Amino acid sequence: MPSGLLIYRFVGRELRNRFAGSIWGGFWALFQPLLQLAIMSFVFVRIFSARVPGLEAGAYAPFLAVALWPWTAFADGVLRATTSIQENAALIGKVAVPRELLVLSSVAASFLIHIAGFIAVVLVLALMGTSIRLAGLLPALLLYIPLVTLVAGIALICASLQVFVRDLSQALGQLLPLMLYCAPVFYDRMQVPADYRSLFDFNPFTFYAETFRAILLGHGTFDGGRLLVACGVALGVLLLGHVLFRRLKPHFEDFL
Amino acid sequence: MSALLVRAEGLGKSYPKVYRSRDRLRALGRLLLNGSNPDSISVLRGIDLDVHRGESLGLIGENGAGKSTLLKLITGVLTPSAGRVTVNGEIGALLELGAGFHPEYTGRDNIAMSAALHGLDAAALRERLPQIIEFADIGQYIDEPVKHYSSGMIVRLGFAVVAALKPDLLITDEVLAVGDESFQKKCVKWMQDYLDGGGTLLLVSHSMYHIQKLCRRACWLREGEIVMQGDVFDVTQAYLAYHEKKSAPAMSEAKSSAAGLEFSIEDVTLNGIGAEGPLMLQGGDAIRVSTRIHSRDARTPGLAVGIVRVDGTPVYGVTTDMDGAIPLRVSDHEYACELEFEALALLPGSYTVRVHSMDPEGVRLFDTVERSFVVRGTSRESGLVRLPHRWKGGHGMGDSA
Repeated sequence: MPSGLLIYRFVGRELRNRFAGSIWGGFWALFQPLLQLAIMSFVFVRIFSARVPGLEAGAYAPFLAVALWPWTAFADGVLRATTSIQENAALIGKVAVPRELLVLSSVAASFLIHIAGFIAVVLVLALMGTSIRLAGLLPALLLYIPLVTLVAGIALICASLQVFVRDLSQALGQLLPLMLYCAPVFYDRMQVPADYRSLFDFNPFTFYAETFRAILLGHGTFDGGRLLVACGVALGVLLLGHVLFRRLKPHFEDFL
Repeated sequence: MSALLVRAEGLGKSYPKVYRSRDRLRALGRLLLNGSNPDSISVLRGIDLDVHRGESLGLIGENGAGKSTLLKLITGVLTPSAGRVTVNGEIGALLELGAGFHPEYTGRDNIAMSAALHGLDAAALRERLPQIIEFADIGQYIDEPVKHYSSGMIVRLGFAVVAALKPDLLITDEVLAVGDESFQKKCVKWMQDYLDGGGTLLLVSHSMYHIQKLCRRACWLREGEIVMQGDVFDVTQAYLAYHEKKSAPAMSEAKSSAAGLEFSIEDVTLNGIGAEGPLMLQGGDAIRVSTRIHSRDARTPGLAVGIVRVDGTPVYGVTTDMDGAIPLRVSDHEYACELEFEALALLPGSYTVRVHSMDPEGVRLFDTVERSFVVRGTSRESGLVRLPHRWKGGHGMGDSA
């Protein structure tokens, strides 16, 4: 079990890597999401006049934002962690560092950055007087716990497979956007033809998109049963990832 | 017997053969299905090695012999594919260049990272940081990104960190070769103090000087297997002899036609040992070269005897003609001759005695026979022979009056 200090150092190292060489450094973590929010509000609300049935015109920006930021954390966490073993080949070959640490600290760094952005976006949306409920911020942050568990599991699986099959990170770059469009992030499930609606439950991110909205916007209902299922899935994936990673990690060095 | 620090039993490592990307997928499939390693190239086989606390072991061998792989297996960076290795203590390892430093970070940040990797907490690091920076002695560069460092500076920093950790077992791989003269001296001095303080050292070096200076035991690896293991002087001498032999030009093999020669050599023995040799000697022993010569025309032969080191460097040569010696006549066509070197001044190493039969005038050379011998010993003098010498000045620096 790696010591607390080691985890702290590794996550710190990851965070600094993300902003290495930039003048504003960690400030980007807050500024980027706000800039992105402004752009999206303009494009979707002003140009596309996008709106969700049953919601007023200005409500699309918060509707999109509360689901898109968790998604960004999800996608960024998976994608970066996938190459974390490969990228740290030099370190792995020279120091007996716990391999899991490299993957998990990459996931942790992604979530720290995007949760910070998420909080900033939620606060700004609340200040702008949208229908966001600030009381929902704390439960929304708690919802990140099963999400980060799920991502950690996926990351362990992908990172260990990536060592052997380098095509994985390429494929993920294509698969993740597909997964995004197949989840009710840009639209509401109710806008989809009724025949397809139940298929959305197979997308693990559907639950998170809808639950973040239920908690922060009161859009849809919060379902405790689905939360339990999601937690179960997240733990199951983490366990699978752990088993796979442990099986493959003795051979990483041979294939790096 | 002191406590066992490292034990390797039947240790082996093989790397999978992956030439094409498709092989990687197949390898992954096999690993997932039955956990066995696919087709592989073996780089280390059947290594049995014990390192006790307080010992110093040098690993020697040619490039690609598996030294670094063995160190990596002991450090835990690599997983063995056969056998097992157990380590009962804290390891400080400096493998190859870089020691896992991040090129974008400053030396100071990398020190913190390495320290954390070695399990040093923040308070202990604060306490030792000045000491590390002083030992590395790279001036302002400590606050520069490591990517701007020279290879020597990286090693300085890496060694400084490991030195500050004072591990139970220190593993260094060719570290001394990169540092400059003064840093090498500093490292060697530090390692000696560390050993005197009960530390354990595992050193890979191509410098026999460093190996002999720092290690009591040595282990010679060749093509993934241990060739020899034991006292550092025996092993390094055998290793050097192997190299000398390798680089010596191939000797002409055309000697079997000797029977028809005017003067052919029938037999040569060194202290009674013939072709079955080599003869083992201690420095200062006597050596007798006994030769029997067949003379076709019953004329008295001449004889030349030379000593060369195995790499072909001549040490000494003399002929019967020069000294006015005459071989003893045993029968009409048989002559015998014995040359004795008393108290041989040769330094430890492997040597060859070459005996040539000559005509009595000492002009033409007919036949050649070689015998080898090894001078064993633990002398640290360098060169070929010990010249008689005497130091003038104070006596017995180490002795108390």
